[in-house]
Amino acid sequence: MDKDLEKLSAFYDGELSRVEMQEIIKEMDSDEKLKNTFHRYGVISELIQRHSEKQTSKITHFQNYYRKINPVITNIATAAATVLLTLIVLYQLDEDRFQVNKETSLQLSSAISSDQAKLQLLNADQNIMEHMIQIMQSNQSNNSQKVSKNWIPVGFSVNPNNPNQYSNGRNNLFFHLENKQLGIKQVKYFKAKNNWIYLIPLKDGRLLTAYGDIPPSIADQMIQSIYQRN
Amino acid sequence: MGISKGDEMLIAEIKADNEMAFEAMILKYRPKLMSVLIGYTKSRDHAEELCQKTFIKVWQKIDTFKGESSLFTWIYRIGINLAKNDFASSSSKNSKITESLEQDQHDVPEYRSPETELIAVESEQKIMKFIQNLDADTKTAFTLRETEGRTYDEIAEILDCPIGTVRSRIFRARQLILEFMNQENILNG
Repeated sequence: MDKDLEKLSAFYDGELSRVEMQEIIKEMDSDEKLKNTFHRYGVISELIQRHSEKQTSKITHFQNYYRKINPVITNIATAAATVLLTLIVLYQLDEDRFQVNKETSLQLSSAISSDQAKLQLLNADQNIMEHMIQIMQSNQSNNSQKVSKNWIPVGFSVNPNNPNQYSNGRNNLFFHLENKQLGIKQVKYFKAKNNWIYLIPLKDGRLLTAYGDIPPSIADQMIQSIYQRN
Repeated sequence: MGISKGDEMLIAEIKADNEMAFEAMILKYRPKLMSVLIGYTKSRDHAEELCQKTFIKVWQKIDTFKGESSLFTWIYRIGINLAKNDFASSSSKNSKITESLEQDQHDVPEYRSPETELIAVESEQKIMKFIQNLDADTKTAFTLRETEGRTYDEIAEILDCPIGTVRSRIFRARQLILEFMNQENILNG
């Protein structure tokens, strides 16, 4: 039965051969349980995708507020602000991932609920914002410490022109390691256009910043591995 | 984005008058379409009616589907056009709703489909939390599939494991979620 259900799951994802697909469709025709399960796969998908969209919607809402309440930043540094305004601040709407600090999500809730609170949140995290802008703008390893080879995800190799940049041929990842933690106690991640920025506080007091087109679902494993080896 | 290989084969079966293939397509895409239509119409009954009309139209027009877009995008466009026509001919035309239809965007709004309406918000949170707590391998494969729409092939490459492993991890995630829903009495009956 599990084999049938596994096949059903692969059918749902459009991953069966034509013959296998015809077999499972035939089975579904006479098996209400299979039909019901298939439908539930659809319900689960809809739920997950809607939650994923809801997060984006909350983020956009926050971005719009950000523009309104902190116009100064756009005047100070246009280039930086352009980057900043495209930052999708995920503070952490997905609070379970990376064992994210609950306080931060509460901060976001309160930030959304009052302009005063928003200003406080933004001021509190000014250093973090500046740090990320610096990383995104330079992408160079000038003041970065050497990154341990053990932290590099499987399949990635170093760029010969930049010792802190790694690629697996499809995705790129840039590391930056400094002796500061900016008050970050747990992993935070942000999205800027198609890239993600991960701020990873290490046990020895340093801050590892990883920047690249690696989504959280993949970065999660990398971060767990870094913590195991640090 | 064009049609996926899986949907292409499904369409071929539907074109060959395989009614169960058509039913499978409805079972797969109905929750998502309903979610979109409820978002636009703000009425579950109205959305239900439009959803039925959409799938009837899909059945009638299936031979004209060229596979230039994904299957859901095509279904979605049919649904949206039906909704537009419906509003245009309706005396209670609502300009705001028409405006949102004009955007013709492929968004999944915050509105919940009737199926997921049966799931209390609290239970929904429980399910999401349960997913977050799945073991890393299972969660990663499942998330790459569900939220990023990656193929098994791509996931296998990303995770550096055989396709069969990807298939069983995704299946395992679905099984565990369904078991959890059963334990919690979510969506039973």
